Parts: sequence; structure tokens; C-alpha cells
Amino acid sequence: MIQVQNLAFRYAFARHPTLAGLDFAVERGETILILGPSGCGKSTLTLCFNGLIPHTIGGEMTGQVFIAGHSTREASVGELARQVGIVFQDPESQFCTLTVEDEVAFGLENLALPQERMGERIEAALAQVGLAGEQATRLDRLSGGMKQRLALACLLAMQPHILVLDEPTSNLDPLGTQEFFPKLEGLRRHHTILVIEHKLDELIHLVDRVLILSPDGTLLAQGEPRQVFAEEALRLEEYGIWLPQVVELAQRLGIAPLPLTVNEAVEVLAGRPYDLRAVMRGGATAASPRKPAIEVEDLDFTYPNGTVALRGVSLAVAEGDFFALLGPNGSGKTTLANHIINILHPPPGRVRVLGHDVAEMFTYELTQAVGYVFQNPEHQFVADTVYDEMAYSLRVRGVEEEAIRERVEPLLAEFGLMPYARMNPFALSQGQKRRLSVATMLAVGQRILILDEPTFGQDRLTAHCLMERLQALNAAGVTVIIITHDMRLVAEYARQVAVLLDGRVVYQGAVKDLYHDERLLARASLAPPPLYQLSRRLKEMDPAFPDLMTVDEFYQVFGNEGLHAPF
Amino acid sequence: MRLFEYYERDSFLHRLNPMAKLVAIAVLIGALTPAFDPLTPLIFLLLIITVMWTLGRIPILYILRALLPFWAVALSFIIFNAFLYNVGRVEHPTVLFTWGSLMVTREGLEAGVSLGMRAVCIVCTSILFIMTTDPTEFALSLIRQARIPYRFGYAILVSYRFMPMLQTEYDIIRAAHRVRGVGGRTGLKERYYELKRYAIPLLASAIRKSERVAIAMDSKAFGALPQRTYYRTVRFRATDWLFLAAAILCTVVILLILWRLGSLRGYGLVPE
Repeated sequence: MIQVQNLAFRYAFARHPTLAGLDFAVERGETILILGPSGCGKSTLTLCFNGLIPHTIGGEMTGQVFIAGHSTREASVGELARQVGIVFQDPESQFCTLTVEDEVAFGLENLALPQERMGERIEAALAQVGLAGEQATRLDRLSGGMKQRLALACLLAMQPHILVLDEPTSNLDPLGTQEFFPKLEGLRRHHTILVIEHKLDELIHLVDRVLILSPDGTLLAQGEPRQVFAEEALRLEEYGIWLPQVVELAQRLGIAPLPLTVNEAVEVLAGRPYDLRAVMRGGATAASPRKPAIEVEDLDFTYPNGTVALRGVSLAVAEGDFFALLGPNGSGKTTLANHIINILHPPPGRVRVLGHDVAEMFTYELTQAVGYVFQNPEHQFVADTVYDEMAYSLRVRGVEEEAIRERVEPLLAEFGLMPYARMNPFALSQGQKRRLSVATMLAVGQRILILDEPTFGQDRLTAHCLMERLQALNAAGVTVIIITHDMRLVAEYARQVAVLLDGRVVYQGAVKDLYHDERLLARASLAPPPLYQLSRRLKEMDPAFPDLMTVDEFYQVFGNEGLHAPF
Repeated sequence: MRLFEYYERDSFLHRLNPMAKLVAIAVLIGALTPAFDPLTPLIFLLLIITVMWTLGRIPILYILRALLPFWAVALSFIIFNAFLYNVGRVEHPTVLFTWGSLMVTREGLEAGVSLGMRAVCIVCTSILFIMTTDPTEFALSLIRQARIPYRFGYAILVSYRFMPMLQTEYDIIRAAHRVRGVGGRTGLKERYYELKRYAIPLLASAIRKSERVAIAMDSKAFGALPQRTYYRTVRFRATDWLFLAAAILCTVVILLILWRLGSLRGYGLVPE
């Protein structure tokens, strides 16, 4: 169906090629997963399939791409759009009209479909993605998940045979993701699908083959997932490519052939001897009572437009805790965090930071105590160089240049930013920008750090480095609060969690106890990470089996074989 | 509260072709501009508000609230003119009262009221257009009736979509900078740096977003075929012609009546 021959591409004005020497073929009806570290040209590759490269995007393409036997060089973009459709990553910036039906119609209009045939096509496409009857809905009233399904409907209406999905769920909350992947399952029968994705656990059972790109834009490997994951384990880790969690576990335990899904892992691990004492040791982290770092008491908030965001929220985060704030989009997480740093002003007595009422603190006192890292690091950059960026908060406070240097340089070194001190913050890579935004929030010695989606859009390597750093800070006594959708992150790092739902705190306590409460998880559309699901399945067979959440915990239990035979 | 936005309703005005409304408004503004008396703009203002309320089914309080800030502007025109009107060119200025060396004249007051009312009037026509016109229909009517190239029409739609997103982003950036400890000082230099600090991240993201939209649109074969069809029908119907005719007739009749009543003194004569 698709044939790629010696494909290379270099963007105009770029020094290095983005893609180099790619050779592969995709059969009709296959579902292909494309993996690679960030910046390896995955998205560029998708644009080669529908002819935007070489037809509209500036650059130099060599080699050939054939779609259904026709070279994309000779076919027009219009012809190719009938064969290949792409869903892009960002749900906000792939639409150009204001209502659902106009958006679906847009592609049909471009193909000059007669007006009288559009209505039924739109209806059918919307029904296919679960948006039947939403024709007149305005786009700004849709959730992120609905937008991505609409983006899919727009393509389905144009009836292409090949669907390309470029990280379709990376901007979605767990609910949106859960709604999206099942739609793919139904489409596999009639379409050839290429998907770029990080969240492999939900997806891997649908995949026929995996293509892996290396950082220099060449093809590293291709083949069946099980085989590729086994053969390329080392390089996958080196490049920081996300793997299904079950695969990570199996690699650590040295299991072959690799299980890919929870179901397969259950079969392999059931009846394997395990060591319960390891769990007992691990569980001895019960914390002694500590002073609260942040206390929120009965906080209500309604936005001026009438949206009720917080309803009687009470919450306490202990000093030195690693705390996660969970909940679907729009549940009030960010609104709550904004009250803690006084961007939204809490009434007197409702929010306390280190024992002080936020309503009575000066901005400089509060920012001295709490650092807040926004989701998009670029939003908080205020200076022209990395060094000045770090020095900024100190200069505002009138600190001497000499003292600033003594404070900034060790921080830059600690976060691996020393070589970039003279660069403009906007010119850094995504991972570096994120590190800088965290480092700036520690410059005046903040003891509490709030991070909004800290690992958003990062590959496994940079995400891992950042989380390890946060853990080190936490070990040094800094209270860390993360707002996140990533349940793996929560399982691996957080000790306490709170779940917000419709502006109410519906859960606060230990992570494991949250995972026990299946009804609550379903209500908040949260799914426990795959490894926890695995441990539950094992427990169903053997009631003595402990609750486990992370690769490390499983390794402790299964790593020393033969210590304790079950049954 | 966003007052200057499309107000979703089904009404006569909402169903009209945007171009009919636009031409009618242009005629009205053209007729109003040379009227230097206070009564003419007042009559037109009442007319526009009534049309919006009855034919557009927009709550009258909502209209008045949207106009509120502009009343303040009008008031400043009135005060400014009342005191500083050049009485030299009036032979016998009617002095209402004096205050030190300042003199409030009847002529000055009238000129101020006239200017202020005309400003409010023009604003009110724009509000009428914005509140009763679906942006999509506007873009389509620009393409179909005004014959602008469809690429431009869609560019307008996309920027309309982006506007609230940029507003949201601006708010986030402001909050983010406050957390950095920015703010407090409000000198001119500080203002300049503030502008620069906001502009760079906003521009960066606007450019990135528009690039993405362009790629997404091209991927759906935008402009790939020589011709294009349209899902929505945006026609210039008989009602549109009728409305346009009625609007022009109304304008002429009101001007005639005012002229007969002697209110249109100096219409079209620019005071030296």
C-alpha cells in the first residue's frame, strides 16, 4: 500500500537532514506503530505520505514514496488527500472553522463534493467516532477528546484508505485517551493505519508491526513488536523511547519471549515463585507526622463567567511530601494551584503556606516559599539568556551580583545547563527548557515546588531525568506537588495523592489505596497503571500476592528466584 | 463577560446576509457623518437600538451594557467641547455660564453632544453587526457575495478562532510572570520591557499555531483542486434586497423630516 524507497528530507535552511535513507513498505490493512526519540523526524515522515512533502513544504526530498503504486511526486495533493488522512497532535490547531459540521464539511468542500451529498457523509463520519448529532455544536464547547475524535471524523468523511495518527492522544486526559483508542480498533478492518504514539500500553495489542527511527532520522529497526523490543532493548533505552510497561518489566526480569500486554504477562508470571519479605521491607516508609506545608480549608471558587471551579475544597500537604494532584481536565486542579500561589486570590484564612495565610502574604514572601512550574516552560521565561533567566528572581529582590553568581552557577551546573548559560531560553531544546523552568523556581531557595504536567511531551529519557532530579530535591526536604494525568508517574514517585472531580476533593490519601477503589477510579476516569492491573490479576489467582505498582517493586518480589514458592 | 461577540439567536437580523447588513450600515454611517446637530444622531441611535431589540431579538439591557464604556467616551467629548469650543466663529454665542476664564456655550454643548452621539451611533452599528452575524456566514458571504479569494475568507475564520486562544495564553503568561516576581514597578521603561516579555512567547506560539493549522488545512486538500463546493448556502435573497432598500429609504425619510423640522442646520457643511 505504501512503499518508501531511499527517502531523505532536509528542511530548507536546516543544516542536517531530518530523514535519511528510509526504506520500508506497508501492506494493505496493516497497523503500524512508528517509534522514535523526540526530534527524530516522525512527524516529518507523516507529511511525506500525503504529499505535503515535497509539494508544499520547503526543503529537499530525495528518494520516492509510492501510495497505492503512484509516486507522491507525480500525484497532486488533492489526489493524495483522498487516499491519506492525518490526525495531528494538537487538538486546538488543526481546525479552521467554528462548528462541528462546518469542520467535517471543509475537507469535502476542498474535494469539490456536490453539496447535496455532504450531509449524509458528515452524519456517517460523526456516527463512526461517537459524535452523532453534534453537527451544530461549536468547536470551543468540545473537550480535547471530542476534538481529536472530530479530527478523525473529518478524515473519515473524505474516505481515505490510509489513516496516519501523529500522537493523537498526547494532549488528552485519560478519559479522552480511553475514548480514542477503541475507535481505532473498529477502523483496522477497513484501513491501513500508521500511528505515532507514546502511550503504548493501551495500543500495543492492535499493532501488527513497529518501525523505529533513530535520532539521525534513519530506520533503526522494523518488525513484529515482540521481536523488535527484544532485539533492540538496549538502543531503545539509550534513545529514551517509551515502551509498554509490561515490556519494561519483562526485560528487567529477563523473561523471553516478551509479553506485551497485561494478559500475556499474567500467563508468564502466574505460578512464578516470589519473595514476600521484599515487600515488607519496601512498605516500611510510613511517615511520621509532619507539619503541613500547604493547607486549604473549605475553598470555593466561581469564575466570573459563572463556571463553578471549586466547591468546598479542603486539602493538606505535609512538608517534605511528594504529592500528586489528579483529576480529569476541567476538574479544578489548576484553579486550586492558582489559589495556592495567589494568582487567584483566596479569601482570608482559606489557604495557608507553611503556616502563613496566603491572603496576608506579600508576593515576594509567597514566591520565596513556593515555586510554580507552568505546563509550558516558555510562558515563564522573562530574560534574554539562560543565566539572566536564573538570576531574574534574585535581581528583583535586590541581591548583589556577586551573591547571585554564587547562587546561580551551582544551580546551572546541577541542572546541566552550564554550557547554555549565554543562550536565549527560547533556543533550548524541550527537555532543557523544562529543566531551566524548574531550576529558576529554586533560585531563591523555595521549599515547595508545584509542577503542572512536568513530563508533558517529553521522551522517556528527559522525563526520567527530570523526575529523578525532583526525587533528589524531595529527598533534600523540598515538598513536591505535581499536577498530572500520568498514572505511571504517580505510581513511581508520588506518596500521597488527591483526586479532584467537579471541583470537589473526592479522595486524599496513599496512592495504593486509591488504586483499590475501582468505583472512584471509574468516576474520575482514571486507570491504574498496567503493572498495578497485573498485580491485581495475580492476586485474584493467589490471594497472598501483594499489591505492586512499579517495575522496581516487581523486581524486588520476583528478582530473587526460588525464595518462596506459592501455594 | 464577553460582550462583543456573536449572540446566538434566530431572528430576522440573524438570518440576513451579512453583506446586506454591512451595506446598510455603510449607507447609514455615510448619511450620519455630515450631520452636526445633536438631534439627528440621537434619532438614529434610537432607531438602531430598536431594530436590534425587535428585529434582532437581543435583550435591550444587553445592548445598553455593551454601549456603556462608549457613553463615557461620548461624555468626555461633550465636556471637552462644552468648554473648549471655538466660539470665535459663532457671531452671537449663547453663554450658559462662565467659570473663571472658561466659558460654556450652548453651541459648544451642542457640538459636543452631536460628536459624542455620532461616535456612539457608529459603535452601535458595529455592535449590531457583530452580535447578529455568525462569523462563519460572514466569511462565506465575503467569499460568495463580495468575491474575495476564499483563501482570505478562511484566513479570517482561522484568526477569529485564534483570538480567544491568544487571550487565554496572554492570561497564563501574565500569571506565570507574576510567579517569577515580576510586577510592582510601572515606569515607562518597565512597561516597554513588559510588552517585550509578553510579545515574544505570544508570537512564538501564534506562529507555531498558524503553521500547524496551515499544514492541517493543506492536508485536507485545501486549495488543491481548481474549484471548491460549499456545504452552507449563503445567498443574497429577496429579503436582503428588501432590507437594504428599507434601510436606505428609512435613512432618507428621517433626514427629510429632520430637514423640514429645521434640525439639519449645516448638514454637510464642515465648520471652518
